Amino acid sequence: MKPFSYATALSPESARQLASSSKHGAYLAGGNDLLGLLKEGLVEADLLVNVKALPGLGKIEQSGAGWSIGALATVAQVEKHPGLKAAFPGLAAAAAEVASPQIRNVATVGGNLAQHSRCWYFRHRDTLCLKKGGDHCFARNGENRYHTLFTGNPCVSPMVSSLAVAFAALDAVAVVVREGKELRWSMADFYHRAWENPLTHHSLEPGDLVVRVEVPLLRTRSAYLQASEKHAFDWALVSCAAATGIDGGKMKGPRIALGSISPMPHQAEAANTFLEGKPLALDDATATQAADLLLKEAQPLEHNGYKVPIALALVRRALLQLQS
Amino acid sequence: MPDPVPAPGALAWPAETRVVGHSTHRIDAEAKVTGRARYASDIQADGWLYGMILRSKWPAARVAAIDLAPALQVPGIVAAVPARDGERTIRFYGEELAAVAGKSKQACLDALRAIRVTATPLPFVVREDDAKADGAAPVWDTAANFIPGTPKEQGSVDAAFGECAAVVEGFYTTPVQIHHPLETHGNTVSWTDDGVTAWASTQGIGSVRDGLAGALQLDQSRVRVVTEYMGGGFGAKFGPGVAGILAAKLSRQAGAPVRLMLTRFDQALAVGNRPSSFQKIRLGALADGTLHAFDFENYGTAGIGAGKASEGGGGGANLPMPYIYKVPNVRTKQAAVAVNAGPASAFRAPANPPASFGMEGAMDDLATKLGVDPVAFRIQNDPNPIRQREYKVGAEKFGWAQKYRRPDPAALALATAGPIRRGVGCAGANWGGGGNKNTGAEVEIHSDGSVEVRLGVQDIGTGTRTVIAVVAAEVFGLAPEQITVRVGDTRFPPGPGSGGSTTCPSVSPAVLDACTNALRQLQTQAGLSDIRDAKGANWAAACRKLGAGTVAARGMWQPGLSSSGAGGVQFAQVAVDTEIGLVTVEKIVAVHDCGRIVNRVTTESQINGGIVMGLGYALYEERVMDPASGVVLNPNFETYKLSGMADVPDIDIVLLDMPERGVIGIGEPATIPTAAAIANAVANALGVRVFSLPITPAKVLAALGKVPSPTPA
Amino acid sequence: MNAPDPNPDDAPLLGTHSRRAFLKGFGAITISAAASQTQAVAAELEKLNAEKIVGPGPVPVTLRVNGETLSLSLEPRVTLLDALRNVSTYTGTKEGCDRATCGACTVLLDGAPIYSCQMLAIEAQGHAITTVEGLAQDGKLTPVQKAFAERDATMCGYCTPGFVMAATALLKENPHPTPADVRRACSGNLCRCGTQPRVVEAVLQAAGGAADNGTPGDLHA
Repeated sequence: MKPFSYATALSPESARQLASSSKHGAYLAGGNDLLGLLKEGLVEADLLVNVKALPGLGKIEQSGAGWSIGALATVAQVEKHPGLKAAFPGLAAAAAEVASPQIRNVATVGGNLAQHSRCWYFRHRDTLCLKKGGDHCFARNGENRYHTLFTGNPCVSPMVSSLAVAFAALDAVAVVVREGKELRWSMADFYHRAWENPLTHHSLEPGDLVVRVEVPLLRTRSAYLQASEKHAFDWALVSCAAATGIDGGKMKGPRIALGSISPMPHQAEAANTFLEGKPLALDDATATQAADLLLKEAQPLEHNGYKVPIALALVRRALLQLQS
Repeated sequence: MPDPVPAPGALAWPAETRVVGHSTHRIDAEAKVTGRARYASDIQADGWLYGMILRSKWPAARVAAIDLAPALQVPGIVAAVPARDGERTIRFYGEELAAVAGKSKQACLDALRAIRVTATPLPFVVREDDAKADGAAPVWDTAANFIPGTPKEQGSVDAAFGECAAVVEGFYTTPVQIHHPLETHGNTVSWTDDGVTAWASTQGIGSVRDGLAGALQLDQSRVRVVTEYMGGGFGAKFGPGVAGILAAKLSRQAGAPVRLMLTRFDQALAVGNRPSSFQKIRLGALADGTLHAFDFENYGTAGIGAGKASEGGGGGANLPMPYIYKVPNVRTKQAAVAVNAGPASAFRAPANPPASFGMEGAMDDLATKLGVDPVAFRIQNDPNPIRQREYKVGAEKFGWAQKYRRPDPAALALATAGPIRRGVGCAGANWGGGGNKNTGAEVEIHSDGSVEVRLGVQDIGTGTRTVIAVVAAEVFGLAPEQITVRVGDTRFPPGPGSGGSTTCPSVSPAVLDACTNALRQLQTQAGLSDIRDAKGANWAAACRKLGAGTVAARGMWQPGLSSSGAGGVQFAQVAVDTEIGLVTVEKIVAVHDCGRIVNRVTTESQINGGIVMGLGYALYEERVMDPASGVVLNPNFETYKLSGMADVPDIDIVLLDMPERGVIGIGEPATIPTAAAIANAVANALGVRVFSLPITPAKVLAALGKVPSPTPA
Repeated sequence: MNAPDPNPDDAPLLGTHSRRAFLKGFGAITISAAASQTQAVAAELEKLNAEKIVGPGPVPVTLRVNGETLSLSLEPRVTLLDALRNVSTYTGTKEGCDRATCGACTVLLDGAPIYSCQMLAIEAQGHAITTVEGLAQDGKLTPVQKAFAERDATMCGYCTPGFVMAATALLKENPHPTPADVRRACSGNLCRCGTQPRVVEAVLQAAGGAADNGTPGDLHA
């Protein structure tokens, strides 16, 4: 790690001012991602602004038609919160799959959403890949077993946030403060820039601060599943969340999202539309049809075609899990 | 009547043991669970400096100059040395270029960035198949990357295959595996006018002493190596290594002790690995199930450790085939292939786990083809009577007869089968080991009854300290915790390096000899006052007779107390999710023999350890090189994956006690058959074989034919 | 110590000269048992530091480790692990990866297990830090430590302090864990020697339960 200065912010405004007072100011919350990047020399930061003391941003509370989860709430809090767990079992399950207990205890919701690529070329100190301003994506024709099935740009590194996948299925809104104003972003908004631009991994600009995520109470059933190479503390090869409301035993507003196969949570409107009004007690064939709608445009690379059958299976299983 | 003290030259293990062969808690467990144990990386010698190594970012390069002056300008930096003087060629990513020492880790990090290296990148090759190809970049100037091995034939293989009732073929591959002990390689070295002291994280304090003395041109008597605690080695931690020599040079330049531990990144690049293997196997049997013909071609890489003498599998890439089986007609052809990657080193049971994976896979496939039970097939063709017995004991314990089903690919197609398929498999192991006759020990008995045993061995986590206490306690009629054991210092009598399952059979006889000699002396003195048996209940009274004196005795390894040749068999049960490809190992039954067991609980822990490591080899571990940039893509624990708490199966261990054989080590055989047994269980579950380790979801799904082709670019 | 210090010694680093002078009186490493006093100092420090930019050179950092107060002078980039192991003498906390992947550096921060390698020391101010050295009181092992010793859940022992910390936190939160709970709670800790089966047995023993170690399938059952 190179030397940097340090400050603790007490308000979002002071956080922004402090961070912008330096050439490469960065916010520090849980620190898992940022310190990892700094240790490998992958990002420049000459000032870290600790935002963990910002008042009120750690709260998890029910408000009106939904729940509000402060961006500084830890992943462990999301995992263990009885109210959230009852309202959104898929979200709690996604939180429980994040890394290890030690990481969940410090990782924040905002940090989980904003974490950068885990592509091993990007994370390598001695490769200058496209995502780091180099001229090509090493993974596209290289070791791409962990990479995307869908992308809108030459970089094939996927979004790996488990929470984003669950939030996407729940139609959650991330509230981002930019220049003192609140922006309300869907998960698609949160990552759309990464779809287009290999240099970024989300849509945040320097100085933007995620302050909370609002989850509407429309979908009372939700599920999250991930497939990994190991049984715990491993990145998802593919993750999948499904959520739906219920109206007379039928699905209302069903949503499916997949992680680790695209620079953003992968969703297909066709699949959601197909499922609308289908019985909650879905049969396997219908679930399979929905899964096919999500994966039919998949473009496997040389070493990651196996993600297609995994994704199909997870969609089917997540949908079937909504019944219980 | 008391047991007589054995006469000199007639040393034997007692017929009835009180402590040996039972379970004794590790005598250093408390130090470990409280954080009191000082590892090499914990040493804070007076005025110590932090040390770090600069490594090559090129997989191959001609280095013209290394300018250390800017590093020495960094505040807090006290010393900087090049890894080698003059121009040189770098042959792998991560090769050492220079080292610095300073007052903080931060100062060292800044200094490494400040060093200027003038180098010309050279062509490189990092993949085995690429390196074999015509026109590949040469790893060494002096030899080809690949010299095809010379076939070695016994019997008449081609004709023999014609006589076989069943023949199977397969192309088996295993990855390069990295040792990754939890404590990285490294030392604190202090070089003063009195000589060199190194606190080393090593498996062989003597090897570090001799290596440092040679490299620094000092008398071996002026180098002291201390290893009170160290955090695992698995074969890679012998000698001072480049890091130890650089730490010494930094210490001399700085005039202060330097602690230079590798980073995890360093560990993945430059301090050893298990070579890969690419095994083409053809195996045939006669109609009665007797193995008859075996044809084997193999190559693998030992990184830059191959190449200079690649024919015949240089650098450790040669596999002992047809492993544990008796085949009358055998042809083998093996070679190592050099690539621009860190050199291989010994790794727990070198060459055996990949040999086991290939051979045992072929055995299972052949059993299936012949329509015979794989366990019975092994008993028929493995001439070792102990393993034959182990198969019978293990099959009973495991419930093999109830669990084994001949694999049926057609069953997979049944929609009613559900996604989870279970399977079982087994495999056998063989290892030599044996004691080191140069092992000595010394014992001091004090008049207050306290006892010290000193031995220049190191406890690498296998329980050596406790083994020494157990043997001494047995001789003196005391409890192991009454024995003070001092190890890990080259000032003590010479001990063995801890490798090859040789430590326990080396130290146990030496300690038995030394303690027996000490007891004889004590008995002589105490006998003057009519104490006929100085042991146990009379111990304190006998020792009091020493007055102002002590008993000091030495002993050496003696023949007849230890032996070599340990086998073992393991059974695995797996559940495979055929939709997502995940393999879950549910159960392992391990039946092993290691002669006379000295300490049962630590012996069993060693077997657990071998299995957990074998599990990683089977399912998770693989060094991944990037052919385009030449770097190791996973120099970390994030994508170089070790077995975790959630992955480890239920393990049942059966130890065959054979005290009549003497003490035999267990560390290596315990890890040999695990991956093969798991791979066989997966093949049994799926009805198709995954021929490549690690068995990842990607490979399982590919074997099942479920993976779509890549989209054309 | 290696980058230009924007806060030379005579500059008002913490708002006032007198505060700086007072803190300097602690010296480089001072351990004091007067916890209430020093905790107040840490809280005050935190407040005074708030919204002020410090570093990149060494700045005073006050840590509360095992109930004792540690006053250090550290660059902001120094991790808690580095501060414990290398700047101070708490070497029971091990470094295995320095990347939040192996768990050897696990300490408790206000009772919760965290990786000390991936937290800055300066961030850990004002929190109660417990290392493995802080568990046994008056030489008496805790039930977790005792069970690790008795069940041979330590081999080379390098990962052991991290496992002990993770297990200690688990039993505080869940005094009667199942084998699956233990596997999950310790999944952030790696062991290369293969103590995992013994760790499960030890933690269950410490919890006063049976010592069946379960199977991986339990996790997702």
